[in-house]
Amino acid sequence: MRIQRFAFTCLAAICSAVLVYGQVTYERLLNAGKEPGNWMTYSGSYPSWRYSILDQITRQTASRLKVEWVYQMPTPLMVETTPLVVDGIMYLTEPPSNVVALDAATGRQYWRYRRELPNRINVCCGQVNRGVAILGNRIFVGTVDAHLVALDAKTGAVLWDVRVADHTTGHSITVAPLVVKDMVICGISGGEYGVRGFLDAYDVATGKRRWRFWTIPEPGQPGGETWPGDAWKTGGAPTWTTGSFDAEQNLIIWGTGNPSPDWNGDSRHGDNLYSDSAIALDADTGKLKWYFQFVPHDVHDWDATQVPVLVDGEWRGQPRKLIYWAHRNGFYYVLDREKGTFLFGTPFAKQTWAKGLDSAGHPIRLPNIDPSPEGTYIWPGVQGATNWYSPSYNPLTKLFYLSVWENRSVYHKGEQAYSPGNRYIGSVPLIDLPEDPGHGAVRALNPQTGERVWNYDLHTKPWAGVLSTAGQLVFGGSDEGHFFALDAETGREVWRQNLGGIIRANPVTYLVNGRQFVSIAAGSALFTFALAR
Amino acid sequence: MRTLVTLIWTVSLAAQPVRNPRTSPDDIALGAKTFRSHCAPCHGMHAEGGRGPNLASGRFYHGSSDANLLTNITEGIPGTEMPALFYMEDRVWQIIAYIRSRNAAAERPAGDVARGAALFRSKGCTGCHRVGGVGGSLGPDLTQVGTMRSVEHLRQSIVDPSADVQPRYWVARFKDDSGKPVEGFVMNEDTYSVQLMDMNQQLHSYEKAALQDYKVEKVSKMPSYKDLLTGEPLNDLVAYLASLRPE
Repeated sequence: MRIQRFAFTCLAAICSAVLVYGQVTYERLLNAGKEPGNWMTYSGSYPSWRYSILDQITRQTASRLKVEWVYQMPTPLMVETTPLVVDGIMYLTEPPSNVVALDAATGRQYWRYRRELPNRINVCCGQVNRGVAILGNRIFVGTVDAHLVALDAKTGAVLWDVRVADHTTGHSITVAPLVVKDMVICGISGGEYGVRGFLDAYDVATGKRRWRFWTIPEPGQPGGETWPGDAWKTGGAPTWTTGSFDAEQNLIIWGTGNPSPDWNGDSRHGDNLYSDSAIALDADTGKLKWYFQFVPHDVHDWDATQVPVLVDGEWRGQPRKLIYWAHRNGFYYVLDREKGTFLFGTPFAKQTWAKGLDSAGHPIRLPNIDPSPEGTYIWPGVQGATNWYSPSYNPLTKLFYLSVWENRSVYHKGEQAYSPGNRYIGSVPLIDLPEDPGHGAVRALNPQTGERVWNYDLHTKPWAGVLSTAGQLVFGGSDEGHFFALDAETGREVWRQNLGGIIRANPVTYLVNGRQFVSIAAGSALFTFALAR
Repeated sequence: MRTLVTLIWTVSLAAQPVRNPRTSPDDIALGAKTFRSHCAPCHGMHAEGGRGPNLASGRFYHGSSDANLLTNITEGIPGTEMPALFYMEDRVWQIIAYIRSRNAAAERPAGDVARGAALFRSKGCTGCHRVGGVGGSLGPDLTQVGTMRSVEHLRQSIVDPSADVQPRYWVARFKDDSGKPVEGFVMNEDTYSVQLMDMNQQLHSYEKAALQDYKVEKVSKMPSYKDLLTGEPLNDLVAYLASLRPE
């Protein structure tokens, strides 16, 4: 086994060396999971498992993990970046919308792109950015002033810069784009400003838009009947977390966000399609193939902006294309990936808003759960039982891992009129209750049953995603600033390090010069670890 | 000469206070509407305070001018829970107009401030509370409490201290690794450790894995003065606390 691992490491190192000046082709992205030295898409591969076959760092060796290098970002803003690593070079974003290329072995900088921004930026929750995409010699980044920019991967020079939407009306881009074929797929933020959401595809060479899918249909289109009057024009449903790609079916599968205004649904009676939904689009045309709405007529801000995890597996004894999806509303779902049909759902965290799900996966709502002027206490809280930070699926343990919040909020309902560039939310809830702050966990679920296999309790609620590896480890982080490695089979802690800053990012792993590295952003720095030599 | 005139003109412009352009009754009414939807969850339905400071008093921790309020509401206050509101300037000015209307109507406590100050000293409050750098440090520093809390909240804190206890004053109780009972205010806590101030005002840090019977109680260590202070003396003490509003 050790010899095999050594041989694999040598092979990977040789591949890395050979590819140092190679370009990232679509074929490489398609087979990203077989190229473990690199981390080439937001979630590591198109099925979005956030899993690596690297196994130098194991349950036995993780205790020797040490900080290899630290990259400090000159920013007071929150860092939510997931770095990409290609052929020994790391590309990461700094908030608000800057990009840096580093030597992945030393953390030393090659270049830095600094985005000049207008004075007023309308973002709901901080001027953040979650990462870049790469194809050929180009890096793609979305900006908080709602532009999409292509940079030269060697120098950081701007190759093209297109306006995706009007930032003065509350549009912004915080999502890491996803390259599919010769297109950059890019979502939009602005669900707290009454934007009309969409998902776009741009030509990687020219920046010309290939297609746009509006996540809110117009009157007369299918789904248009779920919005009264002109509410569709300001109905939200943004697309601010990176989705997945099913190459075999040529489907882009992406989550959509809350309808606007968030906590007062009086102006938008109806299901409000396609808010809070999984949508599957033909990659070439952007046409809707199917959708599944997790929360019809949401009034709690429970976006479906989680990363869809695509697994080809067995379902009740039959091979099936599946999606595993732990939703912000506290339920874990299994969907069929060909039709979008609901297969299974069960709570994975405390929730007090639904009796359960019916046979179609629709929530069976309990009474008195809507926001009210005096405030309504509901689990999960506004930030959900999970959120945008990534889950992971490990094919060795066949477990689904995620960060979980166990908490409640007080949902207030207020009045709200739309005006461009102003918040359009319908009140401000008490998101965190000082007297009852809740707690968090990293949790392993059996993805076929939703049952909890193990739980790693956290005193506070984590904003960090998880990464699992063939070393039988799950890496995760906490709001308290701890980065840790857990036994993927049992949840036992095998290593941890206090990084001294809130972790609001996803971990990645890669290989340079035959050594496995693990990186995570904490506070305003990126920390990279390797086994002590 | 022209340069001098320009300079004087510029300086005089810069010195002019920013004035709220939206102060009509309609603006105040619209500001009240926005306030109730977006500010009241923390600052109270009538700006009397709660999780966030009392805004009815007319004095504010982070600047009392209209310009200060405009900045703080628009951009939030770093290092506090106050978020940015992300409204256009006109809407924020309406909120400020509403807050100012509350300032004009702010409740004035009936008691005597000087007698209240004497009570504060004679009843032992200074043993735990500090005002202007004088007093103990087990309880909250009250130097600016008049800007933070409404009169009603101050009264409640005296007669029923456990009604609203800030997490900083929650009390951890446990036995340490030698079996010794420990009690202290939770200054910080994470998954693995807790940092305390014990009742002798000493600071300690413990690894939680080594502790037995660890629990955190969300009740106040302050005794209730419900039966000790009533009527006029209670009003006096409340008046004194409400007067603690340093410029």
